[in-house]
Amino acid sequence: MSYNRDNIRNFSIIAHIDHGKSTLADRLLENTGAVAKREMEEQLLDNMDLERERGITIKARAVNMLYDAPDGERYSLNLIDTPGHVDFNYEVSRSLNACEGALLVVDATQGIEAQTLANAYLAIDADLEIIPVINKIDLASAEIEKCRTEIEDIIGIPAEDCPAISAKTGLNIKDVLDKIVTEIPAPKGDPEAPLKSLIFDSYYDSYLGVVVYIRVFDGTVRSGDRIRLMSTGAEFDVVDVGVMTPFGLRSAGSLSAGEVGYLTASIKNVGDTRVGDTVTHAVGGVTEALPGFKKALPMVFSGIYPADGARYGDLRDALEKLQLNDAALTFEPETSVALGFGFRCGFLGLLHMEIIQQRLEREFNLDLITTAPSVIYKIDKRGGETVFIDNPSDYPSADEIEQSYEPVVRADIITPVDYVGNIMTLCQDRRGVFIDMKYLDQTRAELHYELPLNEIIYDFFDALKSRSKGYASLDYELKGYEPSKLVKLDILLNGQTVDALSFIVHEEKAYPRARKICEKLKENISRQLFEIPIQAAIGGKIIARETVKALRKDVLAKCYGGDITRKKKLLEKQKEGKKKMRKLGTVDVTPEAFMAVLKFDDE
Amino acid sequence: MRNLSLYVHMPFCKRKCPYCDFYSLTDFEDHRRYVDALLLQMEDYAMAASPFTVDTIYIGGGTPTVVSERLLYDLMDGIYRNFKVFLDAETTIEANPATVDLSSLKKYKKMGVNRISFGVQSLSDKELVTLGRLHTAQEAIKSYEMARKAGFDNVSVDLMYGVPGQTVKSFTDTLRRITELDPEHVSVYGLKIEPGTHFDEIKDTLEFPDEDTEFKMYESAIAMLRSRGYAQYEISNFAKPGKECRHNNVYWTLGEYLGIGPGAHSYFNGSRFSFKRDINAFIEAQEQPEADIDIIDENYRISPNERVGEYIMLSLRLTKGIDLREFTKQFGLDFEKMYGELLDAYVDGGFMTRLENGYAFTPKGMYVSNYILSDMLDFDSEIDRNIANGSDR
Repeated sequence: MSYNRDNIRNFSIIAHIDHGKSTLADRLLENTGAVAKREMEEQLLDNMDLERERGITIKARAVNMLYDAPDGERYSLNLIDTPGHVDFNYEVSRSLNACEGALLVVDATQGIEAQTLANAYLAIDADLEIIPVINKIDLASAEIEKCRTEIEDIIGIPAEDCPAISAKTGLNIKDVLDKIVTEIPAPKGDPEAPLKSLIFDSYYDSYLGVVVYIRVFDGTVRSGDRIRLMSTGAEFDVVDVGVMTPFGLRSAGSLSAGEVGYLTASIKNVGDTRVGDTVTHAVGGVTEALPGFKKALPMVFSGIYPADGARYGDLRDALEKLQLNDAALTFEPETSVALGFGFRCGFLGLLHMEIIQQRLEREFNLDLITTAPSVIYKIDKRGGETVFIDNPSDYPSADEIEQSYEPVVRADIITPVDYVGNIMTLCQDRRGVFIDMKYLDQTRAELHYELPLNEIIYDFFDALKSRSKGYASLDYELKGYEPSKLVKLDILLNGQTVDALSFIVHEEKAYPRARKICEKLKENISRQLFEIPIQAAIGGKIIARETVKALRKDVLAKCYGGDITRKKKLLEKQKEGKKKMRKLGTVDVTPEAFMAVLKFDDE
Repeated sequence: MRNLSLYVHMPFCKRKCPYCDFYSLTDFEDHRRYVDALLLQMEDYAMAASPFTVDTIYIGGGTPTVVSERLLYDLMDGIYRNFKVFLDAETTIEANPATVDLSSLKKYKKMGVNRISFGVQSLSDKELVTLGRLHTAQEAIKSYEMARKAGFDNVSVDLMYGVPGQTVKSFTDTLRRITELDPEHVSVYGLKIEPGTHFDEIKDTLEFPDEDTEFKMYESAIAMLRSRGYAQYEISNFAKPGKECRHNNVYWTLGEYLGIGPGAHSYFNGSRFSFKRDINAFIEAQEQPEADIDIIDENYRISPNERVGEYIMLSLRLTKGIDLREFTKQFGLDFEKMYGELLDAYVDGGFMTRLENGYAFTPKGMYVSNYILSDMLDFDSEIDRNIANGSDR
């Protein structure tokens, strides 16, 4: 049942974490009658537990709702949710491209935050009609008028009569719906033209295969059509098309220009349905794809190993399952002398990495050991060959290297002015090159830096937050490769190199980081029968050293009135504990020790 | 004729020491009722124990000496009535200083107790306060001398090191003064924080000597006691020649023993079992056998494998260590084949010594014995007989 194109509105919600995006989505669904309050899971759009816990939306979701407007007409509203983190900027931009408008949610007690601003600019770039919505006006500390001024000054869009609401209490939600209908333009496009539609999300379902979320710009797609995905040229027969309701998929037979919905076509792999790709008909389709398609490229790599080597197969199965829904995740088998069999995994960024790790641990019940994240380095070797290295183990020896290069990003940091000093110190510390600084208003500044990616993949985000009491926010994009003086730092335990602990570091940083890592290891390796020297070396030259002293005391002095069982249990427990450790040569190391060395920040 | 040891638990103290996690109560008044329950339990055991002769008796606690001499007499009487006891059985009572006097000591002697073990712990009054003890150094010495006067010629003293605030010097001072008293036996225990004790709750506020200092204390105890005629025969135990504690040796050599009282452990007829730490349940179970009250805590048979593990674990507590021929005789296994490379590493590292026909821990090895034993032993898995029985295949 297609709707008249004039009565369709496609929009997304842009908001900073915690500013109430999900709550507003819930209220819209309630108010359109699409879903009764009691049937609703809290924050319906966020399907994954992890998202709910962290209060962020990771993958885009979309939902259709019907609204009977005061003008007497019935409107079909498509809410397209967007992920809210810098690692997923590209996904955000594709979701926005599927819309004609966006709600910009601003917390009346907080004002505009960096992340909101970054997404607002993406929305402006995508030519969307932006409707500011001031939220949380039920709170005593709400400053509605200040918010309006901020929106007008910073983003430059009128906010005089924008809705001021409380998503929590449901106050003024109708205003928002009315604005959506009156302000956001109806989609354009010709249902009779050749099919041109945009993939903005997809997920794998074990019965349906890949469910592809699309926005149709021109033409009509029907069940039974043969379609082509333009970036790969792969062709499929459409099994079903329809819309996403709050209760699941509803078959509709066809989707026409202006509409948002799903299609299934017995597609086995989300890798085939890349976000941003164009879907057209195999015969009589368009020849030119929609602009802006990019293949998601991993920027951060790390080795992931099962803490229990016997669970290698489980880890592979789990990664395969996650990859079904996450084309940006890459992995290939890797072997480490220290850690055994595992996988080299590629991620969009640190958050993406963290999410994958947590999902592996939670949803698949795996204990993992993760090696230090690495970026891709570019090496010109003597003799003219150029190689790209994402694993410190593959790093060529110094005499083979003509010139090494590292990826550099353009970083935008927005922070209250009070913390500018702290943040500049941090950026300098991380080899940042200052570009410029703008004052957004009296209280906030935007800093532009060029930073080596390898300086921000460890704990930059945490450091930024801790130096700004949580207020500063970060957005970055890859600028390119720049020549750099890099060295490979090896860590030796008891004289043996532990491959899993090696990493690439800028020459200047090698000494302090070597010292730090030796200290951390010393703290995290328990005393054992023999003294354990910990050394850090560059190409065989030791540059830092610590020692874990030998264990002196581990004895059950008393025999507890013949309680032999207790002593046996104690030894068994100790044996269990040792089983969890990794034997690196003669040294037992807990998985925690591997994690501890990844944190560098002093504060 | 098989030998048997008896352990009787007296779960009463005037005050609970902050480091102690033995089962003991400060507010249980009806000692008579408890001793009667012990007697009933002995009657229960009497039949099963009839093929045995009791070689050692140990009345431990708690503080057995807070119970009246009259009740202790009834207890001893009950033992003699229910079990066959050797005339020269080693019969020990644990005592805290200042809970005994000349008259009570004489009575213990009369009822057949021939060894007394004093919980002296320290001769530093400051440390005694930290340990929550109810006696001073002076009182400990006085009690000790009274025991001599009462005719005890086999006296043991318990000492503690690793006490908060203790130094190597204060500990060796205590040791020196104890050896001047010339007891037959000295036990030297390292203080260990047990979960659930008061020390466990306040451990962050206590200043314990560090690992290395503790080891120094341990080493100096070994050296000092040796120079004064006490040989170390177990991790924590030292004795004049012939005065090793026979009762404890039973635990360490897989001898059989019956424990009586709540929290007491037994090893009997191939099973290990213990009573729950619940005095009321224990008493009621004895008084009303028809009520079928379950007072057994653990109860399991030792598998052949486990027995091998226990044997190794316990033998290595002793300075005489593992005897290779004895090991092969008992289990049909070859100790060196089972642990070949490990033993070499431990010997090279100075943790073990290779004896004429066996292996034993050095003091350094004893002090990290848990670490080593947890590498060596696996009570759960099957021993590979092909490797371990010495046949090279």
